[in-house]
Amino acid sequence: MSKKVLVVDDDQDVRSFVVTVLEENQYIPLVAQDGIEGLETIQKEKPDLVILDVLMPRGSGIRLYRKLKTDDELSKIPVIMFTGIALRSFLKSQKVLDEFGGGEIPKPDIYLEKPVEPEELVQAIEKKLG
Amino acid sequence: MSANKILIVDDEEIIVRLLSMSLRSDGYETVAAYNGEQGLEVFVAESPDIVVTDIKMPGMDGLELLKKIKELDPEKEVIIVTGHGDIDSTITALQLGASDFINKPVRDEALAIALERAKTKIAIRLQLEEYTENLEIKIAEATEEIRRKSNFQRLLIKSSNDAIIAFDHDWKVVVYNPEAARMFEEKAKDVRNKMSIDDLYPAEAANFYRNEAKTKINQKTLPWREFDFKTKTNKQIPVRYTSSVLTKEKEFMGTVHFFQDLTEIKRLEKELVASERLAAVGQTVSGLAHYVKNILIGLKGGSYVVDVGFKKDNREKLKTGWETIKKNIKRVADLTQDLITYSKQREPEFEVCDPNEIIQDLVELISDFAQSKDVTISSDLGSDIGEIMADPQTIHRSLLNLINNGIDACLEDENISKQHEVSIRSFKNEENEICFEVKDNGCGMDEKTRVQLFNPLFSSKGGKGTGLGLLVTGKLIEEHKGKIKIETDLGAGSTFTIQLPLGLTQKIITNFVS
Repeated sequence: MSKKVLVVDDDQDVRSFVVTVLEENQYIPLVAQDGIEGLETIQKEKPDLVILDVLMPRGSGIRLYRKLKTDDELSKIPVIMFTGIALRSFLKSQKVLDEFGGGEIPKPDIYLEKPVEPEELVQAIEKKLG
Repeated sequence: MSANKILIVDDEEIIVRLLSMSLRSDGYETVAAYNGEQGLEVFVAESPDIVVTDIKMPGMDGLELLKKIKELDPEKEVIIVTGHGDIDSTITALQLGASDFINKPVRDEALAIALERAKTKIAIRLQLEEYTENLEIKIAEATEEIRRKSNFQRLLIKSSNDAIIAFDHDWKVVVYNPEAARMFEEKAKDVRNKMSIDDLYPAEAANFYRNEAKTKINQKTLPWREFDFKTKTNKQIPVRYTSSVLTKEKEFMGTVHFFQDLTEIKRLEKELVASERLAAVGQTVSGLAHYVKNILIGLKGGSYVVDVGFKKDNREKLKTGWETIKKNIKRVADLTQDLITYSKQREPEFEVCDPNEIIQDLVELISDFAQSKDVTISSDLGSDIGEIMADPQTIHRSLLNLINNGIDACLEDENISKQHEVSIRSFKNEENEICFEVKDNGCGMDEKTRVQLFNPLFSSKGGKGTGLGLLVTGKLIEEHKGKIKIETDLGAGSTFTIQLPLGLTQKIITNFVS
C-alpha cells in the first residue's frame, strides 16, 4: 500500500511542487497550509512522513515540530524540515526554545534548505520510508 | 576758570592806584592804563577778563575805548565809570554794549557788586559756551551714528539673500533690494518710489497683502509659508515668504515682504533624500536576497510541475505549474517596480481620475486571491468624491500595498474563529482631504513592530516580504504631499489611513503670485 506523506507549507507554489513530486513517486500526498491545520491533519490521517516548512502563519513549523516531538504517539512520525531558513538559524531557535521550555527536543531527521531539486527531495523521502 | 584779571583805565593816577590796591586786596590781578590808547594796547597785550574804564579822558575817551574793545571781542565785560548825571554818555555806553555803570566817586562796595555781576555773567556765558560746544559734538556723534546705522541697514538689506520689498502706507515701493530685483525681474530704478504694489505684484497677491494689512495689523510677524513663485519670464521658483505689517501707534505705516528662494535648498534636500534612499536600498539587499530566493524556489517548482505535465500529458499539472511560474514572474516584476519607485525621485503625475474607480478595480483584482485565503474584501465608497486631480498610480500602488498587507495580517492571525476581513473606505474629511482607509481585523501589531513600519530593513513577513512595500507606499504618498496614519491593536487588527490634499488646494498654492 502506498504511503501517506503530508506537506505543511503556506506557499501554494511549494505545495503544488511537493505534491507533484510525491505523485510522481507513488506516494499519497496530503496538504496543509499552516501549523494548526497541519496538526489537525496529522492527528486525523496519521501520515507516514511529514514535510514541514518552518516559517508559516498560525502556528509556525517550529512550534508544530516541537508538538510532534513531545507527543508520545506522534513523535514516531519522521519529519523532513523543508524550508528557506538556514539550518543554523533553525537550530538556534530550537536551542532557545529548549532552554525556555525545558527538555531537549531531538534534531530533525532531515533538514532540506530550499530550493531543492526533485531528486534530492525524493532521496530524502526514500531514506525515511524505504 | 574764573574771571580774575582786571584792566583799570583812568587818567587820574591816584584813582588807578587806589582802585588797584583795593581790588588786589580782594584777590584780583590788576593791570593799569592812563588813557584810551594805552588802555587798548594793554587790553590787547594782557587780555583782561573785565575792563573798568573812566569815560572822560583826554585823547581816546572811555566810550571810544569801549567801542574798540567790543569790536575786538564783543564778549568782554566793560564797566563804565561815569560822572554823576552824565545821562548822554551813559546811554551811548549802553548802546555800545557796556555791561555796568558805577558812579564817581567810585565806592569800593559799588565796584565790588559790579565786578561780581560781571563775573557771574562771564561764568554763565562760559557755561553756555561749553554746553553749546558739547551739544554740537553730541549732535555730530549722534548724526554719525545714525548715518552709520542707516548705512549698515541699507547694506544689510542690499546684501540680503532674501528678497526684501517694503511698501509705505500708500502701497508705494520704498525698499526693493537686489535679490528682489533678481526675483521680480524688474530693475530697482523702475520700481523704487515708482511702482505701487499693484504694478509689481499680480492682482491676487496684491489683494492678499492689502487684506493682510487690514486683518493682521496686530500681528507683528506672520509665520513663514511656502509657494511656487512664477517669474515674469515664467520661471518657477520655490519660495518661502513672510511679511510684517508696520504700524506706529496703531496707525498703518506700511508693510515689508520677505521672499526666500528655496531652489538650492530644495535641490540639496532632494539630493539628500535620494542618497539616503540609495543607502537604504543597499541595506535592503540582504533582505531582498531572501525574497529573490523564494521567487526562484517558485520558478523551479513551477517548471518541474510543467515538465511533469508535459511528460504525462496532464493538462491539470501544466496549468498549475504554469500558474506558479506566472505568479513568480509577476513577483519579479513587482519587485523591480518597487525598487525603481523607491530608488528614483519621481514627481506625481497629476491627472483627472476617479479614486472610487481605482478602488473597485483593486477589489476585483484581489478578491479571488483573498477568498482563497478565507479573507473577505469589502469596500465603502464615498459618493461625494467624484473626479479629482491626483496621480492614479500613487493611489493604485499605495492601496494595493496596504490591502496586501491587510490580507497578510489576517493570515498571520492565530485566532481562526474570526471571520477575517479587509475593508476599504473612501471619504472626504473636514479638511477637505481625500481619505482612503484600509482596515483589517488580522493580527495587529505590537509597538515595536509599529515603530519600524517605514524602516527600510524591516519586514515582519520573513522571506515572504521585501521590506519595500510600506516604504514605497510612504514615499509615493509623501511625494503627493499626503500623509499616512496608522492605528493598530495587537490581536484586533490595524487601520491605515491615507490622506491626500485635494487638487484644489494644490491649485491655489501654485497660482498664488503667478
